[in-house]
Amino acid sequence: MGNLAIPDAKGLYDCLKSVARRRDVRTIVLDLGNTERIDGAGMAVVSLGRTLAQRAGKRLEVANVDAQHRQALELNAIAPVVNDVKDAPPTWLEVLGTHMIGFYDGVLASVKLFGDAFSQLGHVITGKKKLPKGATSRFIVTMGIDALPIVCMLSALLGATLAFQGIVLLKRFGAGMFVADMTGLAVVREFAPMMTAIVLTGRNGAAIAAELGTMRVRGELDALDAMGISSSRFLLLPRLLALSFVQPALTLIAMFVGIAGALIVARLSLDLPASIFWARIVGRVDMMDFIHGLAKSFVFAQIIGFTGCYLGMRTTADPSSVGAATTRAVVVGIFLIILVDAIAATIGSLGGPS
Amino acid sequence: MKLDSMLTCRKLAVGYEEGKPVLTDIDLEVHRGEIVALLGGSGSGKSTLLRTITGLQPPLAGGVTLLGEDMYTLDDDGRRALLRRTGMAFQQDALFGALTIQDNVALPVRELTKLPEPIICEMARMRLALVGLAGLEHRVPGMLSGGQRKRAALARASILDPEIIFCDEPSAGLDPVVAAELDATLLRFRDVLGITIVIVSHELESIRALADRAIMFGQGKMLASGTLPELEQSQNEEVYHYFHARSA
Repeated sequence: MGNLAIPDAKGLYDCLKSVARRRDVRTIVLDLGNTERIDGAGMAVVSLGRTLAQRAGKRLEVANVDAQHRQALELNAIAPVVNDVKDAPPTWLEVLGTHMIGFYDGVLASVKLFGDAFSQLGHVITGKKKLPKGATSRFIVTMGIDALPIVCMLSALLGATLAFQGIVLLKRFGAGMFVADMTGLAVVREFAPMMTAIVLTGRNGAAIAAELGTMRVRGELDALDAMGISSSRFLLLPRLLALSFVQPALTLIAMFVGIAGALIVARLSLDLPASIFWARIVGRVDMMDFIHGLAKSFVFAQIIGFTGCYLGMRTTADPSSVGAATTRAVVVGIFLIILVDAIAATIGSLGGPS
Repeated sequence: MKLDSMLTCRKLAVGYEEGKPVLTDIDLEVHRGEIVALLGGSGSGKSTLLRTITGLQPPLAGGVTLLGEDMYTLDDDGRRALLRRTGMAFQQDALFGALTIQDNVALPVRELTKLPEPIICEMARMRLALVGLAGLEHRVPGMLSGGQRKRAALARASILDPEIIFCDEPSAGLDPVVAAELDATLLRFRDVLGITIVIVSHELESIRALADRAIMFGQGKMLASGTLPELEQSQNEEVYHYFHARSA
């Protein structure tokens, strides 16, 4: 008595393979007379044996099968091989075309979402519709106040590092005190808006994409559509409004904290009095520099919020696409932020040095 | 040695919080080759009981003997070895979205045995054919209907020829035709492959077609146990109402 089950399946399979190769064999007989138990692996080996024999121009006969085993074998035999033909792998041209069509569809969908959000904002402003109660203030707390420590810490470190590097270079020319001008301008116009935007992209952009992606997987976005509720108004606008408020606010704080970091380094390295450092900053950095930095931060807020919402909403029902959307929200968000920053810097430089 | 008793619960209390059991004093037994339905209203604790029986949720009190082994006295390795002899079809199918149906079904064989790839693929193909999914091997779950996904989940639960399969709401949300096909598949599993089946279900039609016995839960305890006709004639008000609510 024996079993035709998982432990013995490989042995029998190897045996059938070698017998099927023999030229002196025309019919292979598989005697199941002493077999007590046949499991799924055993049935698979019998089925594979038939296929191997057929390919080699031979026949496989199963002998001495009891009623129970016959029933099981017949049950599986009624299932003929139906080929679910795999598509041939696409050529590079098809891949390129697919990506281009995907990009075009993406641009169209994002323009549509942006237009819808803009129109919903109009409805909210005119009082025809309202935002979900308490959502915007909740997002201000989670996206802004909770992000304050990390933004402050990174800004201080960045200002200090910038001052360190500036002092090393400027000291060679006996112009150490100009570190205040350099760091003040760099932090207010570039580094504070950029650093805050990158931190908030990694923190809030990713969170928005993951949250909305999960909502898509759970069918919550479909539920909103089915109820006739605009997902732009219900989900996108509160997040965009919260970001539009917290991003400039955090950037403004980052500007002062970054300058403070630079001031501490200048005080320690150059023995530069704080009053002189501050006087140089006030003389060099004017209101337009602050407005430039804050205006950029407002645009960055729209990029972070819109990218996160758009990619989260575009998630498919497959849970793995939530991870992909989250990653993409960060990568695309940072890319667009740097692109916009480069464009702003180029346009700013056209007016000559400030 | 053949075990007649596949599952025994003794004085079992299940729940998620100490002191707040969902069900208490559960004494039940399932025998080899039986199809047993666990019935009850929403929130009656059927699914929690199933989670405890399948090792996913420790009991608050009492014990579970599955296939002759006291599950909650086993160490982790022992419990895993025991659970490999069982199958579980989840209510939400729990198929891996990134894998094809064939790879989903083949997953336990690939991970738990050293069988060569041709045998694994043939096992998965045959099991998919058995549940009526021939030709859909290379689709991912997202491309299948709810009924097809449930059947694929059943194929995965049964691929290693378990001695007992637990099904949580196998036909919930399916149309009557697909539900009947699924019932027929479960009956084939029992009749041909000799698998014992425990079902948690709300679908009375399915239970009438499948179950040899049913156990009814409610009010935090086991209300009744017996064949379907016995339960339908029960004097217990809640049990009677459960079966006759629609005709009332």
